[in-house]
Order: sequence, then structure tokens, then C-alpha cells
Amino acid sequence: MALSELRNKIAIVGVGYTEQGKVPGRTAVSFHCEAIRNAVRDAGIDKNDIGALLLYRHFDAIGGDYDVTAFTVAEQLGIRPQVLSQETYCTRSWLYHVAGMLASGLCRYVVLSYGDNGRSARRSFVKELNKGAATDELAAYGDLSTMAKYAMLARRAQETYGTGPDIWKEIAIAQRRWANINPKAAMYRKVLDDETYYNTAYVTEPFRLLDATPNSDGGRALIFTTAELAKGLEQPPVLIRGFGSSNQPLSPYRLDALDSESAAAQASRQAFDMAGVSKDDIDACELYDCFTYTVEATLRDYGFFRPEEVKEFLSRERLGPGGEFPVNTSGGMLSEAYFMGLTPVSEGVMQLRGQCGERQLGSYPGTKTPELIMCGDNGAVLQSHVSLILERMD
Amino acid sequence: MKAEFFEPGISADTKGFWEGCKEHKLLIQKCDCCGRLRWPAAYICPECLSEKFSYKEMAQEATLYSYITVRKPFHPSVEEKLPYYVIDVELEGGIRMISNLVGAEGKLPKCGDRLRLKWEDYGGYSKPVYELED
Repeated sequence: MALSELRNKIAIVGVGYTEQGKVPGRTAVSFHCEAIRNAVRDAGIDKNDIGALLLYRHFDAIGGDYDVTAFTVAEQLGIRPQVLSQETYCTRSWLYHVAGMLASGLCRYVVLSYGDNGRSARRSFVKELNKGAATDELAAYGDLSTMAKYAMLARRAQETYGTGPDIWKEIAIAQRRWANINPKAAMYRKVLDDETYYNTAYVTEPFRLLDATPNSDGGRALIFTTAELAKGLEQPPVLIRGFGSSNQPLSPYRLDALDSESAAAQASRQAFDMAGVSKDDIDACELYDCFTYTVEATLRDYGFFRPEEVKEFLSRERLGPGGEFPVNTSGGMLSEAYFMGLTPVSEGVMQLRGQCGERQLGSYPGTKTPELIMCGDNGAVLQSHVSLILERMD
Repeated sequence: MKAEFFEPGISADTKGFWEGCKEHKLLIQKCDCCGRLRWPAAYICPECLSEKFSYKEMAQEATLYSYITVRKPFHPSVEEKLPYYVIDVELEGGIRMISNLVGAEGKLPKCGDRLRLKWEDYGGYSKPVYELED
């Protein structure tokens, strides 16, 4: 089967939101369930028709929570899907699972969900230590946290082609401006200016705290089905016109900071090929943004700008509300909420549906109605990537 | 000056490396079948999948691929060591590994700087670190 045969065969028909940001007194599993319930209602499907339940990223239970498994979520939803699955270490395989199960006819509806109490319970991302003892060799060098790994690659990029905090500040500010017109965004009421960015101390230099996505409480869910089944449901279906998946499983300190065969580069090329479009056809991007630099690396590896064009391309005017190349229009993980790939992909869907209120592309002054939105989900340290090009079903 | 962080977690696969460290030898696995060097330590060769290997002692010289300056503590015990450099070094054969840059007070490292290996001895283990080659 040629990959182009999968073009527009998969549709996203349900999006489920929960309260998000700082939402104390809730369990992580309750957010998975609430988001899925809301997605089921949004789509207008029968929950018992869910053939597969895929959970994002297993996390250690914190803040008095119990362990979250797909068994628990299915139990609490009162369903018996044929497939239960849960991602562990940010290997982004969900898209191929979704596509495979639907294209084969094995499942009719597939649910993908995320839920966490990471903000209220203060989740930490230091896997090199467990209760103060090293889990690996990196702790011996004080190489602690995911942030340290990304900062290492960003520094190399900085000294190679002149990117740096001046550029990353633009990404942070552009996305904050989108959040400032999104009442559901965690940073809705918090304006970010240059002075605040520069006055924030470095954490792992060259990264500041404002270069990093904060934790969130809350959940998000999406419902996928075939284009055929999508037609009779509640919402205008959004089709996956093209998609791609790639991994570069080298330890982060072995990666090439500039790699034309990075996971993002390969995944995006596959997506463009399957969709039969090029970067010039893309109206907006919704991209995984664990760090500001992640957005830069993704856009660069997708081919939207050459390294020497970084300063001209990544500006708040261009990327933010009213700009010619909207990126992360909900505020992204940086300023809306941290639900991994569900943050960008659900925003892509909502924009194409025309359900984004004040931040709607085509309504907000200076923007145009999008036809094609490219979404990216990144995993671990630029080691896993899936890319999707979405369009609204006619 | 030395800054001890945490005693490394040592697995069955990495034991040989850390034993070499005690003797101040930077030992990298070299596949007996195809000659490829590998790091991180692993049971089989990522090129030819053979489990037969020997250790090669690496040279003192390295190049700085990249570096970060840690300014906030991700664990209370590192607070007194701030700021410190974590570095990504490139050895011969394209081997890349994590280490610390020491003795760089008053200097500004740059990607591509030449480095020289040094050893720090702690109770129970020794670890390889690097300083800038003047």
C-alpha cells in the first residue's frame, strides 16, 4: 500500500477539555476520565463503541494519587475496549497505532487521553535521581533534568548559527500573546514582556524558567475514527491529510544539534509526502513546545526556515496574533497547558473547526482562515516525533 | 577544586567502565568483530550485534561539543556547587559523553574548545572530568 492511500482516511471527531492550569483537589485519573467523557459528548458517539483506549505517558503517582493505568481509566468509564495501551517513556507511537487500528477496520473509534495533577503535586522531571540516589551515570556529573539535555543542544545551536535567548524570548512572548486571548489558558491574565524575560534568572544556562513549560493540572482527550464514520457525528470532522513518524533513539548527548535526518525532519517529510503538499501550503503550526527552543528546532527541521534566517523568521510579530505564520495559537504548552501532544493537536482541530473564539484564525484581525494546519508531537529529547497535517473535511 | 555530585548508578553493563575509572583509565568498548567503538556501554554492538568486545583506553584529548551552566539546583545537595558546568565532550571515533568542566573560573568556554582529561577521586569511585587546554 502506498502511504498516500492513507491521505484523509483518518478523522478527528471529538475533543475533550477539562479545567486546566492550577486545579487542586483532583486526581490525575479523574482528569483522564473527565476529558474522555467530554470528548465522547463532543463527538456524539456511544462510549461502548470505543475500540481502543490509548493513554499518554505513565507518570509516578504523586500528591496522594494512586497509580494511573489504562485498566483504571476503562474501569471508571465503564467500557471494555479491545485495546488498552499506555505510553511510558515518551516514545510517540500513538499515531501509527491509531492509523493502523482504524485503517485495518479493527477498531471504529480510538481515544487518546492525558491527565495529570503535576502542578498541584509539583511533579519533577529529574529521572537521574530516585529519592536522592543516582539511577544512572549522569547524576555523577550533576546532569539533572530534561531541561539540561535540551539546553545542551540549544547551546550548540546558539554557537553554530547565532540563535539564543533573544530568539527564544520571541517564541515565549508570541505564545503568551495567544494565551492572553484564550480564557482557558493558564497564562490568560499574565502578560510577558522583554524585561520580565531577561530579568528571569537562568536555570540551566542558556535556558531560563520562561523557556520551559510549567506543569499543569488537568486533562485532554481526542477521538479518532475513519473519514467514513466521521460523517454522521456532531462536529465538522478534521481529517489527517498526511502524517509521519520517526525516532532518533540516540542518547541526547549523542545527538547532532543540527541533523537533516532528525526525528522531526523525517516525520515531517513523510507527512508532506502523504499529504501531497509542501511547507508553503501550511497556514499555521501547532507544535510541541516543552521548551522555546523545541519550537525553533521543529520549525527548522520541518524546513520552514534555514538556520541563517532564524532571527528574521522567529519574531513575535510573525508567530503571534495577527502575524503571517501563527504558531501555537492556544498559547501552547508554554502558556496554555501541558498535555504533551494533545495540546498542539487539539488546538489544530479546534482552529479548523472554527471554534476558537477570540483567537480564531480568520476572525482575529490580520489572520486568515486556515486550510492546512501542521501539528507536531515530540517525545523525550528530540528523540521521537510524529507530524500531522490537518484539514477540515469539505 | 572538586565538586562531588552523586555516586554513579552502576549496572552490569557499565561496571567495566567504572572499574577502569578507578585506575584512571577511560575505557570504551570496542567490538571485536567490526571494530566499532560504543558508548553508552552496552552488551551488544549496535553495528553488528556481536557481544564480543575489548576495552580501548581513550586518549587524554577531547573536544567540547557543548556545555551548560547549571545555576539553579535540581536537588538540594547541589546548591553549594552552583554554578557548575555540565559538558558534552567528543572523543576519538565520534564517541560523545557527558562530563564536567573544571578549573574554568574566569574563562568562558566555547563549543569546539580543546580539552584535557583529569581524574577526580572520591570514596568508592573516580570520575573523569575535563579542563580547558590552554
